[in-house]
Amino acid sequence: MRPFTYTGAKNTEEALQAASSNANAHYLGGGTNLIDLMKEDVERPDELINVASLGYKKVSSNEKGGLTLGGMLSNSETANHREVRTHFPLLSMAMLSAATGQLRNMATNGGNLLQRTRCPYFYETSMPCNKRAPGTGCGAKNGMNALHAIFGWSEACVAVHPSDMCVALAAIGATVEVRQSDGSPRMIEFIDFHRLPGDRPEKDTNLMPGELITAIHLPQPIFSKHYYYLKVRERSSYAFALVSVAAGLEIQGGRITKAGLAMGGVSHKPWKLIQVENYLSGKTPDQANFEAAAELAMKEARPLEGNKYKVEMGKKSIISALTQAYERKA
Amino acid sequence: MMNTLKASGVGASINRVEGRLKVRGMAKYATEFPVENKAFAQGINSTIAKGEIIAIDSSEAEGLDGVLAVITYKNAEKLNHLEEEMPLLATTTIAPVLQSAKVNYYGEYVGVVVAETFEQAQYAARLVKFEYKEDPDPTIRFDESKSKAYKPKGNSDYLRGDMEAGLAEADETLDATYITPIEHHHPMELHAIIASWENGKVTAYSSQQMVNESTIAIADTFQIPKKDVRVITPFVGGGFGSKLNTERHVILAIMASKLLGRPVQMTVTRQQMFTNTGMRQQNEQRMQLGAKMDGSLTALSHDTLSHTSTYQEYQEPCGMISKMLYQVPNNQITYRLIPMNFQTPFAMRAPGEATGSFALESAMDEMAWKLKMDPVDFRIKNDTQIDLGADKPFSSRLLIECLRIGADKFGWENRSMQPRSKQEGNWLIGYGVSAASRNSPYQESSSKVILELENEKVYATVQMDATDIGTGSYTIIAQTASEYLGVPVAQVTVELGDSRFPITPGSGGSWGAASYCNGARAACQNAIDTLKQNKNIGKDQDIPVAELLKQNKLKKYEAEGSAAPSEAFKKHSVFSFGANFSEVWVDKHTGMYRIKRMVNVASAGNILNPKTAYGQIIGGLTMGVGMVLSEQTRVEPNFGNFITRSLADYHVPVNLDMANIEVIFLPEEDKIANEMGVKGIGELGITSVAASVANAIFNATGKRMRHLPITPEKLIEAQVEPGVVA
Repeated sequence: MRPFTYTGAKNTEEALQAASSNANAHYLGGGTNLIDLMKEDVERPDELINVASLGYKKVSSNEKGGLTLGGMLSNSETANHREVRTHFPLLSMAMLSAATGQLRNMATNGGNLLQRTRCPYFYETSMPCNKRAPGTGCGAKNGMNALHAIFGWSEACVAVHPSDMCVALAAIGATVEVRQSDGSPRMIEFIDFHRLPGDRPEKDTNLMPGELITAIHLPQPIFSKHYYYLKVRERSSYAFALVSVAAGLEIQGGRITKAGLAMGGVSHKPWKLIQVENYLSGKTPDQANFEAAAELAMKEARPLEGNKYKVEMGKKSIISALTQAYERKA
Repeated sequence: MMNTLKASGVGASINRVEGRLKVRGMAKYATEFPVENKAFAQGINSTIAKGEIIAIDSSEAEGLDGVLAVITYKNAEKLNHLEEEMPLLATTTIAPVLQSAKVNYYGEYVGVVVAETFEQAQYAARLVKFEYKEDPDPTIRFDESKSKAYKPKGNSDYLRGDMEAGLAEADETLDATYITPIEHHHPMELHAIIASWENGKVTAYSSQQMVNESTIAIADTFQIPKKDVRVITPFVGGGFGSKLNTERHVILAIMASKLLGRPVQMTVTRQQMFTNTGMRQQNEQRMQLGAKMDGSLTALSHDTLSHTSTYQEYQEPCGMISKMLYQVPNNQITYRLIPMNFQTPFAMRAPGEATGSFALESAMDEMAWKLKMDPVDFRIKNDTQIDLGADKPFSSRLLIECLRIGADKFGWENRSMQPRSKQEGNWLIGYGVSAASRNSPYQESSSKVILELENEKVYATVQMDATDIGTGSYTIIAQTASEYLGVPVAQVTVELGDSRFPITPGSGGSWGAASYCNGARAACQNAIDTLKQNKNIGKDQDIPVAELLKQNKLKKYEAEGSAAPSEAFKKHSVFSFGANFSEVWVDKHTGMYRIKRMVNVASAGNILNPKTAYGQIIGGLTMGVGMVLSEQTRVEPNFGNFITRSLADYHVPVNLDMANIEVIFLPEEDKIANEMGVKGIGELGITSVAASVANAIFNATGKRMRHLPITPEKLIEAQVEPGVVA
């Protein structure tokens, strides 16, 4: 590991100050991804600013009638929080499918949003990767791309975002609150938080330098009866999704009044299927409509050489997730 | 022996004698020995698959605080060379490293940095810059390199009868190819060493499975007498074959210690465990079977295409199991190897059987389906009590019993022959079976026992250079001494893993338990016999060992002994046998599946300790589940590196993946195997597990999965076999 300095910020202002005065500094939350990447020589900060002890560790009610999740609260505490389980079980289910108990205990909510891709070319410093080393090319595009994107990729990058939590947040709809360098808050709609790679794949998000995630605001409780997070993977724990689907349905009088649908493992960002959500709205929750939704979801898919399976797997997963969400006994 | 002592003698289900040390962190692994003044080494790996180093810039690394040396081929000591072209890789092979500018594979050691601290060494290793002249055409794609395959010298092809005639007289034939990927051993404990070179003598605290072989390899590599090499490895945190060899980090650490004049610790990182400590190579196994409608096999061929490195030969004997498991008159086994720009593969748990049984036992299931015969009956129909491949009788063989008892315990009668006939919601449910066998290669082993009389009690210390790689060697050796000396296990101390102790074959090939225990038995019996002889006491007279020492007026007495295979052993084929049954639920949407239940029946001679034996079998089953479920090392198709490079990418099963497992040991007395009737079980458990699951997946889905691992994407893409009602 490269030498670095450690700054234990006493309060938010100190943390923001430290970050704005050093472009090579990194905030340290749970460290479950960052420290790994430093050991691998992928991330090379010369300063770590510990933000895990600044507070922001509560789940509280917000003015919109929803919940606010503290940015530094652990994934475990969030997913197992009674209010979260009751009002946003889709989020809880997605979060509990992620990583392992040990990792979830350490990982913070803000950090979860900032996880970096698991693309092996990103991790291996002797390989080309535009995300890690801009300008070196994308090794995966014409290499091993079985685990890569089918939506929204560019010639520069075909990596996928690894989070499960973010897929559920995309389906539910959320707002991310950050503190800017000057201490003032800024709100970012969840679907605008992460970016597609374009020709700047080194940028995962639309955060500005030095900005610190302090909270995630959830709307009024939604999909608390009909929800399912389906994660397709080859082992039952500690594996990133080949494809995942967060599905939530609000049903009244035998019709879908609102659908939330997002996919993981298919794009550089959590892939919210807005068109499909709209399509399902007003429809009856039946197999034919779920199949049509799945077809619609995959219409724009552009698989790579090694991940053509994701199109069929995606379709079947959407059908399965919607069906299980619908059939769930509340 | 006296019945009162049985509670801690052979066959008792006692806890591990070293268990308390381990759970308290007091069992010392290689790098935990308190060696003073040690420096830390970190290996540097090549970043091309083939070519040569044309320039090295180590100035930045050398300028760092704490860096003591940067060793590359330019300044490395000249070591004994591999003279022969493509020598066979073996456990005593010399291991030269950093001897030339040539690069044979991606990840090969090209240098080592030594520094005052581990962190400094790791950081500095990243700063050494290598410039390469890359060969534009490395052999890194298996499928495109088949024309380069050659006939290996290590394993000869085999033929009995006439394959063509056998296939011609068959009512049904099968021609199918099965693929297993590159796999890695990944024991929990990383390969590691603390090496000291002092006055031309080497002391190596090194995580090894075979102590004596390691001393030979080190001595030969550095051209020093074997007696000047001491290898110490009392606890090994798993090996699975990867620690059979003396790998190159051992040589690098010794070389660095010699250069610096102080001890050097070197740990192979988890990432380096993919490229520098062995692997199981990809195998493509073509199976041809012929059978009569009554189920009798007429022909069986097993052709294996694998790869080795470009500088050494290793061939996994995948076809071995097809030579001996069934009654088939016409039988052909062949091997071909492609020299590829990867490290040399080497033995991984049940080399030959683990992969070969996937091909054979899948093919047997395919044939049973063609014949519309129950796969248990089909196997029983083709049982043989003669090893036709070796032309020797089996010392004992209870395969039929394993299959029958397993079928009964499992509830096999509830299986429907027709796939896809059992469904529950999204789940397709299937049952699978496979037969297992594993060679029991008992080897000569020796030991020393030291008896000490204290307050009327005899305390015994058994010493041998055996290793405990997590298997329970300490415990079963203690039980053996307890049995043959007639003292409680609590009064027995076992000391292992030091080349100063009497020689054993080490832990590997499932020979450890039988060899170690018979070796220990021999020393104990020699002690008792000699003490009796001295006093003219008849051999059969039952006198407590404390009394014998007293009569001999001895406070302390030492004896050595060794045991070796008998003439009868050599005239027989000695194997353990087993059967695996699995129930698998496949999600018809996503291709994810759960293994709900497994029943394993093993006939493996005299079970020394049911508790440690059970641990061995469930460990093997888990690794077998890994083979079928998820384990694979992926090769980057353009650069030739392994892009599966950590345990986050290389998926071993988690607890949630594992089924409810029932393990049944059949009582078996086989005195031909060895005097104690012990057969190894370290590898029996992994054998044919993958086939039993794959066969259950066929029964569930009608999809025949011939390419491991069987992942959701493969299941989604696979088609239902012709003849299956979808």
